[in-house]
Amino acid sequence: MVELIKKLICTPSVSGREDKIREVIINEITPYASEITVDAIGNIIARKKGNGKRVMFCAHMDQIGFFVTFIDDNGLIKVSPIGGVSPLSASYSEVVSESGVYGIMVPESAKDMPKIEDMYIDIGAKTKKQAEKKVQIGDFFTPVPKIKRLMGQIYVGTPFDDRIGCAVLIEAMKQIKSENDLYFVFSVQEEVGLRGSRPAAFTVAPDIGIALDVTATGDKPGSPKMDVKLGKGCTIKIKDSSVISSPELVKQMREIANLEKIKFQNEILLRGGTDTASMQTAGKGALASAISIPTANIHTSCEMIDMGDVKEAVRLTCALANKL
Amino acid sequence: MKELLKRLSLAFGPSGCEDSVRAMIEKEIEPYIKNAEVIKDGVGNLIVHFNSEGKPRLMVSAHMDEVGFMVTGITQNGLLKFGAVGGFDPIVLSAKRVISESGVKGNIISKPIHLLTKEESEGAPKISNMSIDIGADSKKEAEALTFIGDYFTFDSDFVEYGEDLLKCKALDDRLGCAIMCQLIKDVSESKSEIPFDLYFSFSCKEEVGYSGAFGASAQIKPDYAIVIESKAVSDIFGVPDEKKVCTLGDGVIISFADKGAIYDRDLVRHIMRLCDENKIKYQTNKFISGGNDSANIQKNASGCRVSVLSAASRYIHSPADVISYSDFLTIYEASRAVIFTEIK
Repeated sequence: MVELIKKLICTPSVSGREDKIREVIINEITPYASEITVDAIGNIIARKKGNGKRVMFCAHMDQIGFFVTFIDDNGLIKVSPIGGVSPLSASYSEVVSESGVYGIMVPESAKDMPKIEDMYIDIGAKTKKQAEKKVQIGDFFTPVPKIKRLMGQIYVGTPFDDRIGCAVLIEAMKQIKSENDLYFVFSVQEEVGLRGSRPAAFTVAPDIGIALDVTATGDKPGSPKMDVKLGKGCTIKIKDSSVISSPELVKQMREIANLEKIKFQNEILLRGGTDTASMQTAGKGALASAISIPTANIHTSCEMIDMGDVKEAVRLTCALANKL
Repeated sequence: MKELLKRLSLAFGPSGCEDSVRAMIEKEIEPYIKNAEVIKDGVGNLIVHFNSEGKPRLMVSAHMDEVGFMVTGITQNGLLKFGAVGGFDPIVLSAKRVISESGVKGNIISKPIHLLTKEESEGAPKISNMSIDIGADSKKEAEALTFIGDYFTFDSDFVEYGEDLLKCKALDDRLGCAIMCQLIKDVSESKSEIPFDLYFSFSCKEEVGYSGAFGASAQIKPDYAIVIESKAVSDIFGVPDEKKVCTLGDGVIISFADKGAIYDRDLVRHIMRLCDENKIKYQTNKFISGGNDSANIQKNASGCRVSVLSAASRYIHSPADVISYSDFLTIYEASRAVIFTEIK
């Protein structure tokens, strides 16, 4: 599964520019879906047809990053953030453009905590003309993708949010055999405000929606006070800033997890929204919750996960597909 | 088209009170809608549909409403307290002429300078410290002229100045309405076939974020949507180049992204290509700011591909919104090219 994660991570695709990751995912899932469509906004909607309940699983395939807005006379590039980029993490980091141009992201002042708007990307160009040969206004940059194994099952890298969720869905699609009518949505533009999953949920009109995404942890210095730890299993979402999960669904998910002896934790994410919200409220509405992968340092270039939690997330996804 | 733009901009129509703008538009397009279906929906949108079933659905959208003020209270001495309808920089409001729906004229006043505390004189002004003076001496006198819930807008003139600049209130977004009226005329008189099942949506309540276009797009369920708008720029005042957003006079703005939407890349490229082919001057935004109805249209129902064509506008949401008439014409030409060209 690490190989799959690596492949997804190494295909940079910022919100609104998901064409490359979409192609990679479609190639991966084609053997396991009965039909695949791409809608107007760019979501992948894959189906495993069945006669039972209509369940929609959703992981977003976009990532945070930067759009090029301006190139100055010295060939330095100004950008705007797309999604909740951490300026702390962006300062003096390595970035790469959609066409593979490498650069470094430098704050204009080394003293104050800069805003992204007060940083520039240096690709080594000396003039505007030189830079414009490599980069156009509207192109995107992302942090340079990476994944490294630390001790045990711990991995660090970027962007785990939410290629990990995509990997879980793809892996589950390979394993699932179910009577239910299952939809696997790889959504766009989650990081800019859940823009993609709403139309997808409207189209699918599921009975039940389950998002697959990352969640914060409470086990590091300075982390929020939440009862989620790395390595203690995947989580079942009770609440985040965007949604209150449907209680009857949460109850059912816990029962199924207990029955299958899947390690899980209860999650209340204090800050941040997920596609769970749009599945719950789009069209006529649906029961919705999420399975999350505990992740430290979200939205930085050293997001951290425990591969054991990822495996539990796959198991829970498969169990829900069969038993909901 | 300038004359129509003038009439529309001077019409009274803050968000939720678009009746006279809508009536003016209806009258304007009346000779050209024999082959069209006209829908006036529950929230107040005016939708004109040139039916061509089976073809991709294209929605062209502009909003009828403008920013304004709503009376929220009347004081014992006859002053009107008010709330903002839409977004304002309060500093713009002080000492401006305003007019109510029924034509009552007034001035926005604030505490005189010699009574301000040090904090007040150094800080940004607040709308809560302002009132509208309509010349009434008592609550009773004021109540004969207005009521709580009554609307006011800027009392403004339509002025041509500079080389080709236009100055008026509400150019945001009557410029879009004027262009759509002309496009409806063009479509009705066209001998060539339109490659779309085509909808024009004159939408309401954009400025308050409710977005009548949300309801309109739910009915239309477009495949493609083009929003015609104005976009706040800051191309003077010594703002560094990278924060100017856009430049007045450099042609229609084809945005790649703003705070509300990331525009469909293929559609944006298609429109840029059309502009190149037809020698229409265009620019793209150089800073990510603002938003418009496309944010709602894009993710409504099953979603659609959106793009926005805007005019660079200085001093937006003021009595002296300024645009370039040549920019205005490039938006018209670009949107016309979109309507008459099949998207491959």
